[in-house]
Amino acid sequence: MTSRLTLLGILRRSLLHRRARSLSALVAMTVSAAVATALLTLYADLDAKLHKEFRGFGANVVLTAPTGSSLPEDALSTVQQAAGKDAAAAEFAYAVATTDTGTPVVVAGIDFAAVRRLDSWWQVDHWPNPSDSNAALLGQRAANFIGNEHQVTLTYAARNITLNAAGRIQTGGDEDSRIYMPLDAFTAWTGVKPSVIELQVPGSAARIDKVMTRLRQDLPGMKVSAVRQLVEGESKIVDRTHALMYGAVLLIALTVAVSVLATLSASVLERRRDFALMKALGGSQGQLMRIFLLEAVALALAGVAAGYVAGSAAAWAISEGNFHTASLPRLSVLPLVLLLNLAIASLAALLPARVLRGLQPAALLKGE
Amino acid sequence: MFFRLLLESFRRQRRRKLLAGIAILLGTTAVTAMLALATTIGDRIHKELAVYGANIVVYPKADLLDVKIGGVDVKPASGGAYLKESDLDKLKTIFWANNITGVSPEFRMAGMMLVRNTTTGGPFDPRVIWHWNDPRMTGFGAFPVTAVGYWFQHRFGTLVTGAPQLHPWWQLQGRWPVERGITPTHGESAQEIVLGAALAKRLGLHIGDWISMGNEFEGDVVGIVTTGDVTEQQILYPLDATYGILPVGTDGKPVDEAPIDISRVDISARTKPEDAFARVNPDTLSPQKREIWYCRPYANSIAYQIREAIPGAQAEQVRRVEQSEGNVLSRISGLMWLISAAALLAAGFAVSAAMATAILERRGEIGLMRSLGASKGSIALLFYAETGLLAIFAGALGYLLGSGLAAWLGARIFAGDGGAAEAILIPVLLPVVVALALVVAIAGSTPSIRAALKMDPSAILRADA
Repeated sequence: MTSRLTLLGILRRSLLHRRARSLSALVAMTVSAAVATALLTLYADLDAKLHKEFRGFGANVVLTAPTGSSLPEDALSTVQQAAGKDAAAAEFAYAVATTDTGTPVVVAGIDFAAVRRLDSWWQVDHWPNPSDSNAALLGQRAANFIGNEHQVTLTYAARNITLNAAGRIQTGGDEDSRIYMPLDAFTAWTGVKPSVIELQVPGSAARIDKVMTRLRQDLPGMKVSAVRQLVEGESKIVDRTHALMYGAVLLIALTVAVSVLATLSASVLERRRDFALMKALGGSQGQLMRIFLLEAVALALAGVAAGYVAGSAAAWAISEGNFHTASLPRLSVLPLVLLLNLAIASLAALLPARVLRGLQPAALLKGE
Repeated sequence: MFFRLLLESFRRQRRRKLLAGIAILLGTTAVTAMLALATTIGDRIHKELAVYGANIVVYPKADLLDVKIGGVDVKPASGGAYLKESDLDKLKTIFWANNITGVSPEFRMAGMMLVRNTTTGGPFDPRVIWHWNDPRMTGFGAFPVTAVGYWFQHRFGTLVTGAPQLHPWWQLQGRWPVERGITPTHGESAQEIVLGAALAKRLGLHIGDWISMGNEFEGDVVGIVTTGDVTEQQILYPLDATYGILPVGTDGKPVDEAPIDISRVDISARTKPEDAFARVNPDTLSPQKREIWYCRPYANSIAYQIREAIPGAQAEQVRRVEQSEGNVLSRISGLMWLISAAALLAAGFAVSAAMATAILERRGEIGLMRSLGASKGSIALLFYAETGLLAIFAGALGYLLGSGLAAWLGARIFAGDGGAAEAILIPVLLPVVVALALVVAIAGSTPSIRAALKMDPSAILRADA
């Protein structure tokens, strides 16, 4: 009991007496803990963040009814259920109508809100008001084939409809040659029900595969296909960025660890005289090692506490700055950071102590 | 005397120098590797993003409206306007011509028909595919098939490009056609072709089979392609064979479109991610601003230059690819830069801490020199010179190690992309990295040197005795 008290007393004294030295060691441990925390937090969040960036590419799974038929009534809710809450889905119904200039044009019935969420890459100058059931979006190419753009008259199977063009859409794809209108008005006019559901499943290729398998089970007879270039490209890029980040984390962690090790062991080496004195006063090798170790561990613990806070803040700032979404502190990285720093601290304490073991206290104290 | 001191210090205190040297070496290695990766990541990710296909599409301006649903032509357009294959050469003359990395023109013949002999009522003959306009078609039942002419390994300036390059997600069984006539065994002219997987399955055709198309044209199947879209239902043939496929009227001339016309061109170009300035209409800008807009490799300005170069062409950026590509690109390179900054910070700290320790250990030496009459200035100079030498030496070594590490990491991570394995030796980084090492090392040792110089030499010597 008394021995432990003495040990703690020595520890306290040693840390306080050489304040500058303790402080620099503490800062070293803090930086190493902060760097490890920041990188690990970012690394843990990386895949989710990258997958989110890929949402901009729109649908990666397309569900199509066989030619000439339409999807079941509850298809959209089935799809949403199978794909999970974070997936975006939108229905499309298509028909070929004739414009007032007699040109055939593809007209699509859609839910504007759902499509806007799914296809963020559409450049639309003005999205229609959701309450306006006769609002239409004109593809920029399609608009050239319409005589009166304010009152767009379309004919399908001898039935006319007049739409207000709310805005233009420009994508550089097939959308440019189409006219989009609200689904309800479209179905009332043409009698055609949705035949295509486009689905954006965020996440890895494995998750997309799982969703597709489930969709095939839940909606038999429908064709479920992945937009291959998107799924392949996404997983490839996410994997590679992940690997790159992994390399960076290892590299930086190694640099910091070795430097901290160097700083700490130098500070232990410098205390050869203390070591010699304590040994001369009857301290055993084990006791002395314990003192050094305890000191280093105390510094490491304090460093981890401060470094975790600083590192989490850094990770948050980096995510906010780069991805515009916050990376919240993760408790799960703490054990790893703790382990890393304790390992560095123990090594820093024990390596020089081994060097000192062979020294003769008398020779050292005499200054030989 | 000064140089002898300097030299002796390096000769005698190897352990201390080694410690500080290793810190600098590791720091500069990490920083060089991260910076080298960060500067090249844009190109690498762009190469990866090439799987999304073209980011600029060119089509004839006066074309009829596409009536396509899910990629399938609902109403085959006949006639219409086309671009000339010879017009594509003008792409090489635009301002950003060197940024064009792939060109794939296509000629879509939606009017091909799989022929059934109605008199016998027999099944479709998978071998006979004629154009709907062909005079021989009368009296035959038919099933529509789309044939699309593409470039395959086509030489375009210094590029070798074509459909496979612009559609990297296509999976081919067999090989791509060679763009030249082959010796016919069943028709008057022959050409290698590729079938979409779904079509090949429906027709029961395999690699090595042949079909008869149009004007006594023989297509030898050399490959079957899986694409995940409507191309699986199509026949892919080399663009310059179009003439042989088009039907010939009684006057001996092709009855439909003139040969080697192009209904669409996919272009992949290296572009700068779009910002607010990229979206403005160049015609509303002042001449100076317009010049700046014109000379930036935005997808919009490249499309604008293509419209200028090819009369009758409409060029558009493919927003689905271009918009998101820019985002992903800037996020990933942004991440790399931030990580590099973190590496810089960590390395800077580590180096300055190691330097501070190295000086602190040598207080005794400073005390001795001071008591022997050396001025504060000359002692500081000696220590700074030592630090500087160490920083330059270890920094240069770290630069080499870091460059090697970056090349190794890059090659491992981005393996198999062609050209990814090139060494990353960025000369600009050398002075930057060495200067950084110098600044950090000197900044790190300054407080310790100052503190040691401030102390009374006798106190230092007594404490050390």
